[in-house]
Amino acid sequence: MTRTSGANGGGQQGSGKLPRKRFYRARAHSNPLSDSHFPIPIAPDDVDLSQHYPRYFPADKGEHGDGDGDAEAPRIRFADVGCGFGGLLVGLSPLFPDKLMIGMELRDKVTEYVKERVLALRASNPGQYDNISVVRTNSMKYIPNYFGKAQLSKMFFLFPDPHFKEKNHRRRVISMHLLDEYAYVMEVGGIIYTITDVEELGIWMRTCLEKHPLFQAVPEEEIKVDPVVKLLSSATEEGQKVARNGGQTFQAIFRRIAMSPLSDDASSLYSHVLVI
Amino acid sequence: MEDAAVEEAEVSGAGEFAPALVAAHPLGNSVAVAVGPELRVFDLKGGCAVSLSDDSGGCSHSDAIRAISFSADGALFASAGDDKLVKIWKTDSWRCIQTITSEKRVSAVAISKDGLYVTFADKFGVIWLVTVGEHGGGQVSSDNKPVSLYGHYCSIITSMKFSPDGRFIATADRDFKIRVTSFPKNPIKGAPEIQSFCLGHTEFVSSIAFTSHSGGSSFLLSGGGDSSVCTYSF
Repeated sequence: MTRTSGANGGGQQGSGKLPRKRFYRARAHSNPLSDSHFPIPIAPDDVDLSQHYPRYFPADKGEHGDGDGDAEAPRIRFADVGCGFGGLLVGLSPLFPDKLMIGMELRDKVTEYVKERVLALRASNPGQYDNISVVRTNSMKYIPNYFGKAQLSKMFFLFPDPHFKEKNHRRRVISMHLLDEYAYVMEVGGIIYTITDVEELGIWMRTCLEKHPLFQAVPEEEIKVDPVVKLLSSATEEGQKVARNGGQTFQAIFRRIAMSPLSDDASSLYSHVLVI
Repeated sequence: MEDAAVEEAEVSGAGEFAPALVAAHPLGNSVAVAVGPELRVFDLKGGCAVSLSDDSGGCSHSDAIRAISFSADGALFASAGDDKLVKIWKTDSWRCIQTITSEKRVSAVAISKDGLYVTFADKFGVIWLVTVGEHGGGQVSSDNKPVSLYGHYCSIITSMKFSPDGRFIATADRDFKIRVTSFPKNPIKGAPEIQSFCLGHTEFVSSIAFTSHSGGSSFLLSGGGDSSVCTYSF
């Protein structure tokens, strides 16, 4: 089937030919503060899932759930914030074939590349990769436009821009204020995965998550058996580059918890017991 | 860099013509009007203008006032604006009891239902909280620094209101969004728990208001640049 998603990247739809990165060159950095003019959904219900996941949402104009017998339409459950060239989504797709996932990317050309990549993979692997998609957006400003309360069960922040200068620290994608929003769109028990090769940023992200009352560190035993964790450092182009250069990576994996009724530091002990 | 460019754009355009603001005392005792840097209060009961006393050395504000608000019981009044000062006044004597310095210009101000805290929003979209306390002569107190409650990332807060029961604080911004946040018993530690986002406007939200029902639930009303009024249950 042809997707009329407005992707004007090229005429390779349906042929299964993967896009060539050299035609989608972009700088590594993009300014999250500038007001780019891309369409954003006014509210999560306005996100057109039939555009992203056509196999799950045949784009007929009939009522939802008409004749299908489905109790509830599936919703996006995983979000890769700053998905780059889509490596993580491609790696996650076969691991969770029943979960819808979306990548969010600020750079126009990179988003087009991922769109083409997904279409090509679907064409050459019928029945696979229907559960991943990408959207061009500024996730630091518009996450609440895409996701409703407690919608996501996993959020990913792989190799975010470090914004080294102190005056630019407020542009970092993980911060105390933004964690409020990420906690809002995540369900209790959902997991946030972060990784970076910049030690200072790794410490920053871990510290923010530790200080935030709605997140708690996932214990080592759980991290060891989580199939997703391996992908953090191996699935993406950035991760592979770091491995090639023999660099070190710094992970912070935390679980979204309910607000503890206690207000002092002892609360962290009790909230671990409350959340099974 | 980009931050400086944003600052310049705001100063050149809107600085000279700050809109006049008006606020009414909840019990009808007085009306306050802010015109540029000037704060004028009219005593409705006495039928005369009030002269404000400010012991912090100087007239009320040195630059355009951007936000004013009475507390729910009318005992307190807050004013703030482009001079980066937040002033808290007692409405019985119209004396400025507290002056707080903000790092950035202030776009919105509100007083908590119990009258214990004043919240204000700066132009980067961060909401700050200070404890109301009477200090001699309205001087800035160093042990009462504003704490950051939460933020609307890189947006300008256009309106900020507390819910009638004091459990929530709602903030609206120029990026079409309204955030309703749980206002904790001990807000000094921050307000990280978002109750809901009220979305629907397709342009900046210019003002919000809570309805107060004596028996029923409260709704949130909002108006914006898209010429629409929205009602939300949060």
